[in-house]
Amino acid sequence: MIGGGNGSRILRKNMVTKNDIDGKRRLPSEELRARTQLLSLREQLEHNHFLLERLYAASAGIMQAVEDGDVHVAIGEIVSNLIGSEEAAIFHYRKAARRFLNAWSVGISDEQLRQLSDGTSMMWRTVGEGVTQFRDRQNELQLQSCEQNLTASVVLKSGHEIVGVLLVFGLLPQKNGLEWVDHQLFKFLETYGAVAIQLQLLRKNAAAL
Amino acid sequence: MALKKILLVDDSCTARLVNRMIFSQKSNYELISAVDGKEAVERARQDKPDLILMDIMMPRMTGLEACRLIKQDKTTSGIPVILLTTRGEESYVQEGYASGCSDYLTKPVNDAELLNLFKAYLGE
Repeated sequence: MIGGGNGSRILRKNMVTKNDIDGKRRLPSEELRARTQLLSLREQLEHNHFLLERLYAASAGIMQAVEDGDVHVAIGEIVSNLIGSEEAAIFHYRKAARRFLNAWSVGISDEQLRQLSDGTSMMWRTVGEGVTQFRDRQNELQLQSCEQNLTASVVLKSGHEIVGVLLVFGLLPQKNGLEWVDHQLFKFLETYGAVAIQLQLLRKNAAAL
Repeated sequence: MALKKILLVDDSCTARLVNRMIFSQKSNYELISAVDGKEAVERARQDKPDLILMDIMMPRMTGLEACRLIKQDKTTSGIPVILLTTRGEESYVQEGYASGCSDYLTKPVNDAELLNLFKAYLGE
């Protein structure tokens, strides 16, 4: 019994030792895997938080402008502070007249605005397809001189109605290009920016009656 | 322990809100704000913040001018001022430092970069 007990103890001791050794062998890779997973999950959360912070700030800016400001200026602030461009313009679109009307701009010369008001290939494609257009190799050849520096032509769409386009030209020098969060902000502006513009226009029209 | 007081200065409510969220979500700071350089100088004298984060392009008084005034005033000259701007070109950066700022950041703001900079200035 004693011997058996000892043997069992020795065996257990040996087993524990073996497990320990195995455990020590396994631990670094398991720990590394766990740490990598933790970092990846944390990164995902931070990524989402970063986006939601910016979407919330954009939404709050537009809401405040709807109440006591100019929605176009609020959209400009989003483009400047969150996306990173100080060259932008908003054109309202009059479907019946097939005309663009400049509603707001920053960093664009009067001559360039005049040319853009006639509508460019990129602007017509934006309202024709109802989809935001980005500059790429395919459309680079078709760009007119007034839209050479164009980064994106964002459709502003309230429901099925196209309210206008937001043109974003050169990005700030410290920006290497559009990032994932910028595309999400464009999507936000496509819908909520457009609804806010339409609301403000209707209010102005109602006040003028 | 008393909370560190930070003065956020920007004429854009979107920018103020983003900065406010960055600090309030991730750190324990007391945040106060001003909408232009003139108000920033007044609040700096009145509230004596531990650090100022200020935009450059603002109506009434620019961030550069406000920074110069804050640094000229004996009661506020010790407050670190971080200038925040869309312009990252060398000439603009030099002009920023000439106004007496402690650091210079470009928009759009990176959360981690901003928080790390603040932690360094506030000795955390």
